[in-house]
Formats: sequence, structure tokens, C-alpha cells
Amino acid sequence: MVSTGSYVALSGILFALGMIGVLTRRTAIMVFLSVELMLNAANLALVAFARSWGDPTGQTAVFIVMTLAAAEVAIGLAIIVAIFRKRETTNVDDLAALKG
Amino acid sequence: MTLAFILLGALAIVGGIITIAAKNAVHAALGLVGTLLCVAGLFATLNASFLAATQVIVYAGAVMVLFLFVIMLLNANQPVTGRDPVPFVRELAGIGGTLLAGAFVVLAFTYKDPRPLAEGAAALKGGSALVMGETLLTRFLLPFEAVSILLLVAIVGAVALVQRPEAQPDGVPDELEEPIGAARPEREMAPRTGAQPALQAGRESEVGA
Repeated sequence: MVSTGSYVALSGILFALGMIGVLTRRTAIMVFLSVELMLNAANLALVAFARSWGDPTGQTAVFIVMTLAAAEVAIGLAIIVAIFRKRETTNVDDLAALKG
Repeated sequence: MTLAFILLGALAIVGGIITIAAKNAVHAALGLVGTLLCVAGLFATLNASFLAATQVIVYAGAVMVLFLFVIMLLNANQPVTGRDPVPFVRELAGIGGTLLAGAFVVLAFTYKDPRPLAEGAAALKGGSALVMGETLLTRFLLPFEAVSILLLVAIVGAVALVQRPEAQPDGVPDELEEPIGAARPEREMAPRTGAQPALQAGRESEVGA
């Protein structure tokens, strides 16, 4: 059996990739895609720990995270579409009206 | 088992790199689909068969279809050109990401399992829908119901957000919008005059008089 540490290390690499994507991509949709990558990395770690402890609680948490992510995507993409209709862009640098 | 982990893990990392590096947003979304499918396979190797099925159906299926639909609807598959607002943001993100991944890898291999892995895997009974359902509807009943309400709110919110701007009385002034009543009558008039030549002739005679 593959050790729990290997799964958590893979999860950490995927999470770091998602973080790099969030920091470097300039389109709101691409930032969202990277956030999904980070959520999946967290899910992978939770499932690995669930096997390690022999407790389905971790898998239940993953189920709830999946549902939250689906709701977040629905609302987030609706917001992106609404912003695009008004501003004709999804570039996060142009949408910094609330900063500071 | 080890071979499956190495293969799926490597493919997941490749998919993740495509996701964050692809210039075309459609390619990035398809890279993420690959990663999600590989993670579903990894769930299956971790005795979580129900979650593996849910991952394929909900994530790789429904969520990514929504993503691809919005990318194509907004025609956002072209990369945004322009300079970065923060200098060296790519280099800084690369260094930070490498450090974070290194820290995770080092921490992960210091983790000690509380019991033998085979014992824990047996206790999960394959992570079937029976095990998940028993846990969700007994110990986690309140979060389960809260999440169902959240999904309902999300559906209503998404529908309300993408309503037509005319039907949305937000009351927020928007300087980028055309003033109401400036260009709209002409836009409505154009097809009507084209479709009804008799009316158009009548109006032209009115204009001439």
C-alpha cells in the first residue's frame, strides 16, 4: 500500500501549483480554475487521512467540500458573466475598483 | 497499487501544470479535467469508491462543463495581454510555490499513521455509498442539510445574477452604460421598419411632409 505521506506530498504539489496559478493568471476564469485545483488537492489529503485513520469522517468532509465548490462555481461564474456584460473584461487588474 | 499511484499522480501534476501554464483558457480547462479524473482514480485507490464516482460526475462532468460553457460564452479563450501590475510576480509566485510544495513534501513524510494502513482501509469498507450515507445522515446531518440549503441559495443567486440588465433594478449608476433612452428607440425601430414596408412608406411620407 502506498503510504499516506506520498498522497499528502502529491496533494501539496498540486496545491502549490494552484497557488502559483492564482497569483500569476490575470483572467478571473483562470483564477477560478486554479482555485478548483487547490480545492482538489485539499480533498486528496482529506481522503488520504481518512484511510490512515480508518474513519469515514474525512470522506464526508470531502463530499461537503465538493458541494460547496459546486455552489461557489455557480455563483462565481454568474458574477463573472454579469461583470463581463457591464465592463467587457474579466481581467482582474481592470476590475480592481474596490481596492484600497 | 504503487504503479497506479505513480502513474495517476504524474498525470495529475502534468494536468495541473497545463492548467496554470496554458495560454488558451480552453486548454487550461481541459488540463484541469485530466487532473480531476486522475484525482478520481486516486480516490479509488484510497478506498473511497463513492467519492471517486462523485468526482467524475460532479467535478469532471458538471462543473467543468459549466466552466467550458462560460469560457466559450465570454469568448475568453484568448490570453490577456498586458504587463503584470506587480513586477516579478511570476518569479515570486514560482519561488513561493516551490517553497510551499517543498514544505508540504517534508511535512508529509514526517506523518506517522495512527494504525496499520490495511486496518484503516478495512474499516472504511471501500468507502461505498452505504458507509458515506450512514455517516452523512447520522453524525453530519446538520451540515448535510445546511449544504442543501446553500445549494438552493446558490441556484437562486445564479439565476438572479444573470438576469437581463433591463430587468434588474439595481439602482447603481454605471458610467460605462449608455444613458437610458439614448440609443434604444433606434435599435428597436430598425427591424420593424425592415419587416413592414407599408409602415415604412407611411412613415417616410410623414417625414417628407
